[in-house]
Amino acid sequence: MFILAINKSNNKETFKKAVRIYLILSAVAIVIDKVYGAFSHGVDSAAMTWMFLYPLLGGALFYFIIDKLIPHITKFAGCRVFMNLYNSGIATFTVGSFLKGIFEIAGTNSSHLKYYYMTGGAFIVAGLIIMFKIAISKDKF
Amino acid sequence: MNKFLYKPYRWAAIYSIILAAAFTYTLLDTFVLPKPMAEVSNVSLSSKEGSEVTSNFQNTESSSTKEEAQKKAVVSENYYEDENIKITIESYRKYDSKIYVADIEISDPSYLKTAFANNTYGRNITEKTSDIAEENEAIFAINGDFYGFRDEGYVLRNGKAYRDTARSGHNDALVIDKDGNLSVVSEEEESLDSLIEKGAWQVLSFGPGLVVDGDIVVDSSSEVAKSMRSNPRTAIGQIDELHYIFIVSDGRSSDSEGLSLLELAEEFQKRGCSVAYNLDGGGSSTMYFNGKVINNPTSGRKTGERKVSDIVYIGY
Repeated sequence: MFILAINKSNNKETFKKAVRIYLILSAVAIVIDKVYGAFSHGVDSAAMTWMFLYPLLGGALFYFIIDKLIPHITKFAGCRVFMNLYNSGIATFTVGSFLKGIFEIAGTNSSHLKYYYMTGGAFIVAGLIIMFKIAISKDKF
Repeated sequence: MNKFLYKPYRWAAIYSIILAAAFTYTLLDTFVLPKPMAEVSNVSLSSKEGSEVTSNFQNTESSSTKEEAQKKAVVSENYYEDENIKITIESYRKYDSKIYVADIEISDPSYLKTAFANNTYGRNITEKTSDIAEENEAIFAINGDFYGFRDEGYVLRNGKAYRDTARSGHNDALVIDKDGNLSVVSEEEESLDSLIEKGAWQVLSFGPGLVVDGDIVVDSSSEVAKSMRSNPRTAIGQIDELHYIFIVSDGRSSDSEGLSLLELAEEFQKRGCSVAYNLDGGGSSTMYFNGKVINNPTSGRKTGERKVSDIVYIGY
């Protein structure tokens, strides 16, 4: 099975690097909220104010915990698949939250927003399934 | 596919492009791409009877009425009077803001009208207030509720229901009935059908209500959505039968801060309005009279009229 194949270029720093990147993205999300808020005439949006929590909790904190609990999964080829899917989910949630904030501040709405949350959720669930599959199969190697 | 997903940066690059494209499309779809949904039928209230008439008869009748009345009209920079319509415009400074007040009396409810941009109902169908006013030969006009910026909120114009979806939460709608009387209703408590049964002719969906039964119904913490600052405002109120007050304030500029909803409500109450309702404000706030815009519309970032979905106007 492909995801359980051994990754020959295993990098033990993978999760730590992800934590650092997500911390930077969290800071970027905060800056975007502040800059946008400066031009929104006092109108704010919880969706935009708190969008940094997706990369902070869903990204940095999550990978920090994964690095502590199951660091060995980086040796599996499927780890990259898990990270690609999971990161895509967090990115989709963050962008969806940003859009929701833009619409709330403008006083409008969009029927497209639900697709961001559905797609983001699907990516995260798919990523987590692969992660668990790799994690529980460790004894096989 | 497996190998594709395995590549560390290829997936990220491609998905980033997809996400950016989706982001751009969502913004364009929400703010820019026009989506016409219905052409407006030419129906209006018949004089005195408060019932619908077909467009041909009404147009013939109204054009002769209009020509006769407007020939005899007394017109100045801030005044208009003919045998059916009397408009007095007053502007002054208060609350660090420039305020424009129109006191309007009409002889028949059919002279209080609404119109859509491009004569079309739909999302992102917009024109400047002054352009819509000119197309409809309005004597006086203000911007409406910008219904086309949202997917919810009642839209009833000239007796025709275009959108019967109530906004979620506690939101007020403005009803103008066939007799020209204004009232403020709760969208969560009244369906559009029941409003039509009770005689609603126009329903605008923005709010909140400012004055109800002569009492101010907003306080210093009231605001549209989550805005907490003074803003350009547009609002409409009624003093008596066929006697209205329209107020527009400039805002978001060094010259004019703008009004809070409470300050706006106080202006209506002191003029004796029993009902008053807040319409779309900010960059949309525009007052048009006798062929020109008389306030200074600005969004705070750029000056000039913003394109809007609809207007409320006085005309034949």
